[in-house]
Amino acid sequence: MTKRRYGDDTTVIARTATRIVSPIIFVTAIALLLQGHNLPGGGFIAGVLTAAGFALIYIIFGIDYVQETLLHRDVEPAFGLPRPALAADYRAMFALGLLVAAGAGVVAMFFADTGFAFLGQHDWLYDVKPLFKFHFASAFAFDLGVYLVVVGGLLAIVSVVGAE
Amino acid sequence: MSPPVAVIAPLLVVLFTAILTAVAHRSLRVQRALSVLGGVAYLGAVAYLFARVKAEGTLVYQLADWRAPYGVTIVADDLSVFMLAFGSFVGVAALAFAVVYVDEVGQRVSFHPLYHFMLVGVTGSFLTGDIFNLFVWFEVMLMSSYVLVVFYSGAEHTRAALQYVVLNLVGSALMLVAIGGLYATVGTLNMADMARRLADPAAFGITTLAPVLGLSVVLFVVFALKAGIVPFHWWVPAAYRAAPAPVSAALAGVVKKVGIYAIIRLYFTVFAPADLGELALPGFSGSGPLAYFGPVLLVMAIASILLGGVAAVNRDDIDDLLAYSSVGQVGFIVLPLALAAFGIVAGVDAPAPYGDVAGVSGLAVLGVTAALVYSLNHGLAKSALFLASGAIYDATGTSRLDRLGGLAERAPVLSGGFFVAAIGLVGIPPLIGFFGKFLVFDAAAVAGSELALGGALAGAILTITYVTRAWNRGFWGTPTEVVDATRTNRTQVAVVVVLAIAVVGVGVAFDPVLEAAIEGAAAALDTQGYVDAVNPDTTTSATSGGGHA
Repeated sequence: MTKRRYGDDTTVIARTATRIVSPIIFVTAIALLLQGHNLPGGGFIAGVLTAAGFALIYIIFGIDYVQETLLHRDVEPAFGLPRPALAADYRAMFALGLLVAAGAGVVAMFFADTGFAFLGQHDWLYDVKPLFKFHFASAFAFDLGVYLVVVGGLLAIVSVVGAE
Repeated sequence: MSPPVAVIAPLLVVLFTAILTAVAHRSLRVQRALSVLGGVAYLGAVAYLFARVKAEGTLVYQLADWRAPYGVTIVADDLSVFMLAFGSFVGVAALAFAVVYVDEVGQRVSFHPLYHFMLVGVTGSFLTGDIFNLFVWFEVMLMSSYVLVVFYSGAEHTRAALQYVVLNLVGSALMLVAIGGLYATVGTLNMADMARRLADPAAFGITTLAPVLGLSVVLFVVFALKAGIVPFHWWVPAAYRAAPAPVSAALAGVVKKVGIYAIIRLYFTVFAPADLGELALPGFSGSGPLAYFGPVLLVMAIASILLGGVAAVNRDDIDDLLAYSSVGQVGFIVLPLALAAFGIVAGVDAPAPYGDVAGVSGLAVLGVTAALVYSLNHGLAKSALFLASGAIYDATGTSRLDRLGGLAERAPVLSGGFFVAAIGLVGIPPLIGFFGKFLVFDAAAVAGSELALGGALAGAILTITYVTRAWNRGFWGTPTEVVDATRTNRTQVAVVVVLAIAVVGVGVAFDPVLEAAIEGAAAALDTQGYVDAVNPDTTTSATSGGGHA
């Protein structure tokens, strides 16, 4: 199998810039996701940023690059339309995100100190002396669900519309 | 004290059904099974909530245990559970129909999650006690319904859906502006807190209530748009015709009622106690918001009844006819509300059992009761008719009256279902439609309003006309070519028959229904009871939720 080249129709500047910028985008997105329950950030903005990062890679290198090189998937038709296989995965991610977010609300109902309230919150503070304090909030689970919904939803739209 | 989980159970059940059907999108069988099971569980949860509310009175749930008015309050009172009970029944019946009606590709694409998300929006709208949260549930409901209206994706469907989407987006924007304005004026979004502040603005440091009238007019336009009342009705026929039959049934039977519910809840429970001062316009007297909305509602109701009825008479397509009929029937729901508003302003009393509710005008109780019973009637009968039309379309490939004929001979059971639902719409005793119409006329008589009486009478005659015409042209006579080749789907017919039986059954066993409707009306008019149940406590330092220590 010969090695396929991607992004031949874009400029060197764009490709190089994308290589440098995309990891920064994803790290920033994850940072926003992790601090979201307490500081500016959160699942939605992190998801949008991640989707924007992927969109950038799609534009510069093409969706096939992500699909074949990174995930080893083929382009397969769905509902008689040539849709990228990734679109179905994104859909699953979207659904999973909904499940995580709603599930986070229900799980809270089983913690007595939230008064069995849907979407109630709890947080734990682990003090690992003398190194650091680890603060875990149950709101993070909700944020994670939102993140998955946003990434899955936006990328499903981008990949389906991009293929047409 | 643990909050009553029963309040949120219907919402959670239908939310998780929606999500699980989305997760299971790879297998149609699993998806269908989850969808139907979820629907049944949803009915169970609603029935449980209904029983709990009837036994214990208004139940209040604070999301995440944040105390009212700071957190989002979910309130299940007699009014909410009445709407929810028949809404969930109609919604799940239409779902059962959809499972055998919508083609497999369609069901795999996204029908089940979308349909359940629409039910999530409906359930949330009925249960929420927070005006901004109401907006959110409206959006959940509308976004799903946008996709369901454009489901077949043909040229005419896209056209109808575009109109529907643009209109509702404008409506949503207006709603948001109005809610923002209310928050700026009154300083709260919680409905109970808002009612309390509107009743006694000075005690809460509110200097003027003047903007409330304008803002409530804007909100009213939005709700009238959702309910499809003239002059905001013109999206109705195209959207109902474009949507798949079970979706039209749910839109007409359930989603429209959310607009009606919002009008009852906000204008009769929340805004009613406000003193907005005299308005110097001819024909308006009194100082509460209902004094202004009463006459407006009356005119809109009569216009709906007449326009919907006249337009339905010469339609050549069953779906079209039913859509215009919906416009007319919503007029019948709104008409007694107008009379109820009149009853509150003028303090008109009515005989027992309506006059027995302490502290409110008997006519108001009678009017709201009539609106609730008529909503129930319209929900059951119209969804049965839309589903019957869908079954006919599925069997013959057309819903045009000039190509149909003699259906009663080839599809007797389906025709029977259509007939029962149709005469339910007309209002023949002992069907529920009779009691709905009777209460409307009763309210008009008690109010002594010749205008309302005349409008309702004309509407009733128009209803008889278009129903008779549809029956004569579609079901009697010799079977036409397409009807001869009819093969009806048994499950589809069964769903229509179940709804038709409900139209009969609810009418035969009307006493408990009337009792529930009167309780619902009393709950809608009992602002103080609503405030006390929610108990928005702003006096203590309640800036953080109870459990959020």
